[in-house]
Amino acid sequence: MNDSSAIRPKRITFLIYLLPSIILFAFMVLVPVLLAVRYSFFKWSGGPKMEFIGLDNYKVLITDGNFWNAFVNNLLIVFFSVFGQIGIAFVISIFLMSKVVKWKGFHRTVIFIPVVLSSVVIGFLWGMIYNQDAGMLNWMLRTIGLESWIKPWLDDPNLVMYSVTVPIVWQYIGFYLIIFLAAMQSINSEVYEMAELDGATGFKKMRYITLPLLSSTIKIAIMLCIAGNMKAFDSIFVMTGGGPGSSSTVMAQYAYDTSFKSYKLGYGSTISVGIMVLSVGLIIISRMIGGRNRD
Amino acid sequence: MTKAANRIGQIGVNVFLFAISLSCIFPLIWMLYSSLKTSQEFNLNIMSLPSNPQFQNYIDAFKIGKMGTYFWNSAFVSLFTVVFTILFGFFTAYIIARFKFPFRGIIYFMFLTGMLIPIHGLLIPIFVEFKALGLLDKKITLIFPYVAFNLSMAVFLFENFIKTVPIDVEEAACIDGSSSTNTVMRIVFPLCLPVISTAIILFFLGAWNEFPFGLVLIKSPELRTLPIGLTNFNGQYTANYTQMLAAMVIVVLPVVVVYLAFAKKVMQGMTAGAVKG
Repeated sequence: MNDSSAIRPKRITFLIYLLPSIILFAFMVLVPVLLAVRYSFFKWSGGPKMEFIGLDNYKVLITDGNFWNAFVNNLLIVFFSVFGQIGIAFVISIFLMSKVVKWKGFHRTVIFIPVVLSSVVIGFLWGMIYNQDAGMLNWMLRTIGLESWIKPWLDDPNLVMYSVTVPIVWQYIGFYLIIFLAAMQSINSEVYEMAELDGATGFKKMRYITLPLLSSTIKIAIMLCIAGNMKAFDSIFVMTGGGPGSSSTVMAQYAYDTSFKSYKLGYGSTISVGIMVLSVGLIIISRMIGGRNRD
Repeated sequence: MTKAANRIGQIGVNVFLFAISLSCIFPLIWMLYSSLKTSQEFNLNIMSLPSNPQFQNYIDAFKIGKMGTYFWNSAFVSLFTVVFTILFGFFTAYIIARFKFPFRGIIYFMFLTGMLIPIHGLLIPIFVEFKALGLLDKKITLIFPYVAFNLSMAVFLFENFIKTVPIDVEEAACIDGSSSTNTVMRIVFPLCLPVISTAIILFFLGAWNEFPFGLVLIKSPELRTLPIGLTNFNGQYTANYTQMLAAMVIVVLPVVVVYLAFAKKVMQGMTAGAVKG
């Protein structure tokens, strides 16, 4: 900051510049957070009757199998995304930095395309890929003679979470790829030349130079991955609606169903508070673990 | 390593990358050509190319599926989201970047925490709040949450950029008699053009693709945005896959065109917060 009294606008102009954002932000973020906490203490179905029940909703939440099942589903998506998206993106970015790969620009451009698409379209598209009778996946298995592998990908409760996670992982590989490529390009090439003089080969260069120098980028990527996947909703809503049963229900879906299908707005708010606490908690924990590794 | 093994490794890496790229682009190509098939043709063989490409599915998607209405709703909401996010974000970031004032740190911190709060957790209180204020189900309803949730990113982007712009230019303009508003609009704003173009793309894509708030805050069929219209489309005309595919193409086509035209800017925009933050 470089405070200069010469260019400082008049008090009224100053406020006109500053206030619209603050008011809008308060009205859309701060007030709703407080409202969610307030409603979470009530039994309320949206009508004029609101019954204060103190911490009862939280007592229910702690033993609510459906909520924790949804949380575990979110964790599963986070787990596969951290390894799938960040892992695959890291491998691809190493390949794209090497000299042997052709058509680098093409790969970079194409792998990023799914990132910009609507998750709703991705959900429908993968719904068609997974379709039991007319789906592309089963068609492919049939064509290459693996009839026995054909499965009802979205209708099997034991399988469905893996089926809905694949498109989520697939969609955002390009996002982490671009982050890693940007970070790798900023590594000074002299570091590599020195290492080569010392006899470091391909794998060793990656292990002892690229990986350590990228550690802060990887930590940011993991944080974004956690934050992004705790709000997974769109594509699963479209593919399965959380089903069959509650086998692919994630936290956002559970809050939506409770509030807008069962009209339990009080308890729905309690779930919302739960989502916020768990998400922010997970991000803070990941930061603390990442921070300790720094030394 | 022998030369032959090296060569095989090189080919392997290239094949692997082509397989990945193909997996990213083939579903879209399939969607595009399948949308030109008739239902019977699609049911006969889902992978084959259309023998006689025809646009009936698109005509039906617009006529029966109301995709045109949804398209203009999305365009309207996205346009105003982009304009207001950039204006509000720019002015706020300018003040935060340039001047000392009470609560400055708290205000900046408040905007930054906006990036960490899981927005989906706020669906219910925002629904209740909008209901109380009579803001549900209006043409402008979605602009409020979209602008607000983008403000964190906008303030962050602009603040970082304005800090790098030398203050001397503004002081010189001031000495020459330019009013502060004039200086900000005529000098600082145009200097921010590189960030503004990134921001336009980022906020446009976000608003165009957003789903949960559109689902909860809009009830009237004639006010729905494209992603919501698509889910409704699916429910009402089930099993007509080719029409559904045409509707999906209508949703993604503008995005893919913008992306291919400004690939580098889009990538910068989508990853701006991540790389710098």
